[in-house]
Amino acid sequence: MKPSPAMLALVTDAYRGRGGIAQYNRDFFEALSEEGLLSITVLPRQAPDSSGMPETIEQLQARPGRIAYSVAALRTALFRTVDVVFCGHLFMAPLAALIARLKGAKLIIQAHGIEAWPRPSRIQRTATERADLVLCVSRYTRAAVLSWAAIAPDRVLVVPNTVREVFTPADGSAQRAALGVEGKRVLLTVGRMDSRECYKGHDRVIAAIPHLVAKGHDICYMVVGEGDDRARLEALARDAGVSGRVRFLGAVGLQSLIEIYRAADLFVMPSTGEGFGVTFLEAMASGTPALGLGVAGARDALADGHLGTLVAEDDLQDAIARLLAAPKPDSSTLAAAARTRFGRETFAASVYAALNRLM
Amino acid sequence: MCGINGIVAYHSASSEPEEVELLATRDAMRARGPDGSGAWWSPDRHCALGHRRLSIIDLSDRASQPMTSEDGRFVVVFNGEIYNYPQLRTELETEGARFRTTSDTEVLLHLYARHGAEMVHRLRGMFAFAIWDQVQHCLFLARDPYGIKPLYTANDGWTFRFASQVKALLAGRHLSRDPEPAGVVGFHLFGSVPEPFTLYRDIRSLPAGHTQFVDAAGPREPKPFSNLSELLAKGAANAVPVAEIPERVRAAVLDSIRAHLLADVEVGIFLSAGVDSGALLGCMRDAGQRGVRAITLAFEEFRGTSEDEAPLAARVCDHYGARHIVRRLSQQEFVEDLPAILDAMDQPSIDGVNTWFVSKAAKEAGLKVVISGLGGDELLGGYPSFADVPRWRRRFGALAVVPGLGLFARTLIGRVAPAFSHARPKALGLLEHSGTWAGAYLLRRGLFLPNELPEVMDPEIAREGMRRLRPLRCLGASLKPDPGSDLARVCVLESVHYMRNQLLRDADWAGMAHSLEIRVPLVDFTLLGALASSIPAITKGAGKAALAAAPITPLPNEVLTRAKSGFAVPTGAWINSVVGDAPWSIGHKPESKGNVSRRWSQAVLNGGPLTKRPLEVHAS
Repeated sequence: MKPSPAMLALVTDAYRGRGGIAQYNRDFFEALSEEGLLSITVLPRQAPDSSGMPETIEQLQARPGRIAYSVAALRTALFRTVDVVFCGHLFMAPLAALIARLKGAKLIIQAHGIEAWPRPSRIQRTATERADLVLCVSRYTRAAVLSWAAIAPDRVLVVPNTVREVFTPADGSAQRAALGVEGKRVLLTVGRMDSRECYKGHDRVIAAIPHLVAKGHDICYMVVGEGDDRARLEALARDAGVSGRVRFLGAVGLQSLIEIYRAADLFVMPSTGEGFGVTFLEAMASGTPALGLGVAGARDALADGHLGTLVAEDDLQDAIARLLAAPKPDSSTLAAAARTRFGRETFAASVYAALNRLM
Repeated sequence: MCGINGIVAYHSASSEPEEVELLATRDAMRARGPDGSGAWWSPDRHCALGHRRLSIIDLSDRASQPMTSEDGRFVVVFNGEIYNYPQLRTELETEGARFRTTSDTEVLLHLYARHGAEMVHRLRGMFAFAIWDQVQHCLFLARDPYGIKPLYTANDGWTFRFASQVKALLAGRHLSRDPEPAGVVGFHLFGSVPEPFTLYRDIRSLPAGHTQFVDAAGPREPKPFSNLSELLAKGAANAVPVAEIPERVRAAVLDSIRAHLLADVEVGIFLSAGVDSGALLGCMRDAGQRGVRAITLAFEEFRGTSEDEAPLAARVCDHYGARHIVRRLSQQEFVEDLPAILDAMDQPSIDGVNTWFVSKAAKEAGLKVVISGLGGDELLGGYPSFADVPRWRRRFGALAVVPGLGLFARTLIGRVAPAFSHARPKALGLLEHSGTWAGAYLLRRGLFLPNELPEVMDPEIAREGMRRLRPLRCLGASLKPDPGSDLARVCVLESVHYMRNQLLRDADWAGMAHSLEIRVPLVDFTLLGALASSIPAITKGAGKAALAAAPITPLPNEVLTRAKSGFAVPTGAWINSVVGDAPWSIGHKPESKGNVSRRWSQAVLNGGPLTKRPLEVHAS
């Protein structure tokens, strides 16, 4: 039997890694390896966690240093068959393009969010223009790439994020009791609080709370996630006189996260910088309605308003009030709709369709 | 002739197309098809097709579109004419196909079912069509070899859209108007927007002579199915003796005219006092047409002068027993129509005004179909470029390949003689651009030269546009394989750049704005194939002489003689009077012979001198 083509994946992190990009990479590799389409070797920059390797995919030792990483990538390419180079982050594109050229391999570059929006360095742009495929997580990221790269648009495809199957709808009342929020209207945001980026929109929700309370909503705003912007947001809540209504839960384990999604009345993340916004999907797959701004990748995650609600920034307060006042949508219907568009099967189908362009 | 459009929500994450969008795009093309309209939705509602109809072959409702195959598997929307459809139909019927209509549209369905994408090789005509396959869930698009009929596409990563016009796609309100620097730069270089680019980044043209599939991963890269250079290269390898040329031209043109007369409505002709249209009128009579109505555009201010084409055109009409309609145009009418012209102009163009008015006259006469002599100059060496481009290559080519010499000379002369530099920008380009066929052609046809761009537009857009467009590389690529002779090289360059992006596109929007189908028998791949071995041997003037002699009763001699000196048109002066004082703001006014065209180009790009809504062209 002919061996399946070999992919060398250059990524920031995948297995034993944390965060959205690592998750996307794992989903992507598993979709490919499940069908035995490719044999995959992953070279990560980071792998902080101790467990979580699948059997079918080989992940080499992480190399945090830039030079050490490049040397490891070149050495790996030298001694192995490489038919496809997968570049998981734009800043590795020049290295990936070099290896693809040396090995006569196809080049796939993955674009996520803000890293791919502004015009990159000339060397990164040239590398991107050499790619056989550029995969983007959203239409917005795709349009951004096409604005600076002189590349045939037919080679730039959208493969959206997917939502893990662990997120399902269920009764959240036990979790509500555990959190002591029974009888309250629970708003939820899940995302990093990064003082350099500050785009997730926690500020906007906090600013809306007094207005919502005045309208008679007994609000509790739960904030899940870590980050160095937390102190500023806490101060913001204090200044607005709503610190009693804002609960910073920090990083939580997967099981807690699943239950918190179920316990919320409304997932709200008025972010302006989402490449896609996978947490919108996690909320909706848990049966909780989601609200975002009609900006960037959030438009995809909320399916132009067909899955969740998209509003302009000025309408945020009114939209939250409106959604809290409306009867909660049927959670299993919402979860099924989210999964139809962004579940594992549809994700795998779009990965195969994209790969089909190369093979 | 019609307007087509469609929306395919191909991605598993995408939403169903909205009916309001489908109809908004379709009905923005009302003028292309005033006789009827249709819409079709796939059962899963992920594919929607729209059509506006101008009935010309099979006028019955049976021939309405979108048209579904008998088994329901394939659905087609089609803009154009398949001139060999009677032969194709006979062949298909022999193979067992059953027809429900007498339209050429149905032939496409049967051919695609039998031959898939390979079907395009069997078609003679002008076409842009899309066929949806219900079983494979894929869309097939095709556009004729010369690009007579337009087809624009847009892909946002989830949803694919297409339509016959750029403005119709924009009318659907789902696409951005972010400028495409390559399109903006291309317009400044050539006076029309070079395909596959448009003025907008979200919208592209399916290149002429290409097919494209759209499947679950979206549109695949367009694939070429015809190549003018290849056809001419084969011809050059089997060049015929000069003595045979007149007979070959006669036979090939008559054959093309016969094919182009296929219609269930009257076919008229645009008649100037030139050779091309006159010879075609003669051939129409040879093909059995009697009392053809011929439309001549004439200008009030030339009445009674030697510049008036009407008297000579009238002689040609008498010569061939045609009925002459002379349409006089005044400056006042020109000014009155200008807003409508700019509105109908699908993409900016520095030409097309004459075609607008002659089409208007044809519509007033109640005609739906006319023959045009467009393409004669490209085919038979009628332009000065056929002499200039090879001459510049010979004279300056050797010097131009010296690296840096052209730039040095231009800079030097620009410093020591700035007045000359402004007055004759192209003369300065000779040493820089004559080193290649592509460069010499750019110099001949260029509206502005690449080095002038930063003066007339945002320098950042100019730089990015040049990088994305790569004009010289793009011109050079059209000459692969080498067409084998000087005449054939210029023929290809003129046909696939100037004629395709400017003349044919202008004929499409200006004709369609008047619900008029313009047929171009001298722009025909079968005709080119028949003449490919003659073209290398055509000497100066011999091509047009052969065309003039093509009818059984040749054109009067004075037409050939008069054609050499040409006729003036006052529209240049009219444009000048309109744009002369226009408050267009980008850059300074370059002083050169093409001054009017250059200023007109700016006026067109900015939404016209008479409107107050300029297109924002800026770095994004």
